[in-house]
Amino acid sequence: MARTRTTKKLAQRIDLNYFKRTTALKRAKFFLSVGVPALALVWIGWHGLAKDPRVYSSGRMSEAHAVLEAECAACHVQTAGAFSAAASETACLSCHDGPMHHASSKSSPACATCHQEHRGRVNMIAARNQSCSECHGDLRASGGAGRFEKHIYSLQEGHPEFAAVRAGVSDPGAIKMNHAIHLKMIRRGPNGPNVQLECGNCHRPAGVDADVTYGDAKYRAAAVSYKESDELLEEDTQTLRPPNASSGRELMTPVKFANACAGCHLLTFDERFDEGVPHDKPEVVHAFLVKKFSEYIAAHPGELQEAREPERDLTGKPLQPVARVYRRDEWVSARIRDAEELLWRKTCKQCHAMASAAGQNNLPVVAPARTTIKWMPHAKFDHDGHRGFSCVSCHEKALNSTQASDVLLPGIASCKGCHAPGPDHAESRCFECHTYHDWAKRKEVRPTFTLPALRTGGQ
Amino acid sequence: MRIDKTQRGWAIASLAMMMVFTGVYAVYAANVPDRPRGGSAIGLTFGVIGFGFMLFAALLGARKRVPTWRIGRAQAWMRGHLWLGLLSLPVILFHGGFHFGGTLTSVLMWLLIVTVLSGLFGAALQHYLPRVMTIDVKLETIYDEIGNVRVLLREEADRGVEALCGSLGLGKSAKEEMQRAGGFTAARAMSVSKGGASVAVATETVVLTDEASAPLRTFYLGEMRPFLEQPRRGSRLGNADKAHNAFAGLRTLMPEPAHGLVQDLEDICDEARQLVRQEQLHRWLHGWLLVHIPISMAVIVLGAVHAVVALRY
Repeated sequence: MARTRTTKKLAQRIDLNYFKRTTALKRAKFFLSVGVPALALVWIGWHGLAKDPRVYSSGRMSEAHAVLEAECAACHVQTAGAFSAAASETACLSCHDGPMHHASSKSSPACATCHQEHRGRVNMIAARNQSCSECHGDLRASGGAGRFEKHIYSLQEGHPEFAAVRAGVSDPGAIKMNHAIHLKMIRRGPNGPNVQLECGNCHRPAGVDADVTYGDAKYRAAAVSYKESDELLEEDTQTLRPPNASSGRELMTPVKFANACAGCHLLTFDERFDEGVPHDKPEVVHAFLVKKFSEYIAAHPGELQEAREPERDLTGKPLQPVARVYRRDEWVSARIRDAEELLWRKTCKQCHAMASAAGQNNLPVVAPARTTIKWMPHAKFDHDGHRGFSCVSCHEKALNSTQASDVLLPGIASCKGCHAPGPDHAESRCFECHTYHDWAKRKEVRPTFTLPALRTGGQ
Repeated sequence: MRIDKTQRGWAIASLAMMMVFTGVYAVYAANVPDRPRGGSAIGLTFGVIGFGFMLFAALLGARKRVPTWRIGRAQAWMRGHLWLGLLSLPVILFHGGFHFGGTLTSVLMWLLIVTVLSGLFGAALQHYLPRVMTIDVKLETIYDEIGNVRVLLREEADRGVEALCGSLGLGKSAKEEMQRAGGFTAARAMSVSKGGASVAVATETVVLTDEASAPLRTFYLGEMRPFLEQPRRGSRLGNADKAHNAFAGLRTLMPEPAHGLVQDLEDICDEARQLVRQEQLHRWLHGWLLVHIPISMAVIVLGAVHAVVALRY
């Protein structure tokens, strides 16, 4: 008879109180279920006892605030009796000023709306596009001024072409300049060799030493009677100013005759003199000519007797040369007239717009240069940040530009080629070029904290 | 718990909730000026919902401890635990805007991930292993009693062998053992085998001579009894085919009257082997809880700390 499994026998071999006994698995489950949460509490409590509140932090502080990583109370001020110790606007404004955007802005968001802390070692200034497009996405609804584009969401979506390069816009500058000629092989002055100019020979950022390869030391050293700032086009004062002081290398300095032109464009005025006239107002040039010719004739009185060229009579027979004797003032006037004829009608006019005989002593008036320094008044651009790129890779229009009125600024498409969302592109968010706060309205902040108290837990 | 058609209601409800949460998060994330934050109104709502799901899932433990609670059926609790616990992870990810934040929140997030993943692993095991158990362990017993049953099996085998081979010198007499409950082997009468083996004929039992019983005695004491006492992976009795061959070989060495006992011993061995398999499957079936429960408890505790701290700061 083989083994038979009956229910009765099966039941007999089971201890009816088996469920009251504990097993290794049950024990392990119990101890771990108590031990692990207890361990977690000990971990939290240990940080609490060590007065290291970083464990509660919702994330690491930004680069700028990294020094306050362990100093929660610097921003999270505890008010007596209150449960909440949330960081308030006051905490931000105790160190930072946040000038308003535009006077017409309907609302001023809280600092943390755009600048969120505890996001790791990030740049807090890097606000998201949505912060801007909340208003600029529908500027009409936001009560924005009429002259701005109404629906801008990002550089890629809704951003208009730069105003300076839109159809019908020309360079208001009055200096005649043919970039195409200057960027080909060109003779250096009347008798110089052929040279190949580069953009940097003339155009340099303000903070960089000028390239004087094609300049003239005498002109560089000479004082001028006009203010160079008068030659610049006035900047739009309604724009928002960036927060930091300019490094001086962002924008190109205006091209100066003494640095970039004088080496080739000689302002010679008479064969008796090697030097040229000053690069200055006609009045100054005229006075210079008077002085030069007066001094010359005083030193060379023999030239007052001028032999007129022999002429021929009607039959073609040569006549005897007639000699004419000038008075000094007559001689000086005659030479000045000749020199000014050359200067006003040719030399100066080659680059400047001249209004003839309208000024003092019937001298012409040179039209102001009206050089534009900042082509994009509502944005900031840094040439220094782009120094690794050749000029013509953006300003390619310069190679074929023959008119001074041509705007050689690249269009927005050039920017979008590199500045786009995604890891393989340069930053393209609004803050990269635009500023929110009008830092021209900045107010100084009264210092609140003291060192080293802040670093050691006090304030 | 099997993941079958009975889960459809919870699955559809969870999917619907997930779609609503995803939609809300997508709209919120697309329109928030900076990236989504747990402290915003919507972020906070996600946090409360997610923590609520976690608390509900944790209450399953309490519900199991007090089975007399008349708050829903245990099966409904289990399904809720499964689906809402699963849903808690995406909801909490929405809460944090898919960022893990600082130390405490990162620890919390990783613990939650471990909890949910271990739960998914456990759910998969509980779906699959019971079928395996049904096929592999036909002689399944109560897990906690396996040790006891194993002792009884050994004692039963002792009795059977001693009944045929005489005392094995184990200290307890077969009769004493017989008096204990639990054996399935009936006392059997044996005829005298050929070959002149002296068999002590009793009213019910026949004892083989030492010579005739030697192969069985050697096999039992040297191989089978140690296996019954402490089953080892390396033993050939741990493998069904090898064990079958071993007993087939033993049968050829034993006289015909002993074949019934050899069959009984093979059955006992098979049951012992199944108990080993049951233990293995049980460890898989419940071992993941050693990770899932403690970590989930830690999540609840640290989650509560996080809630208080976050609301304060």
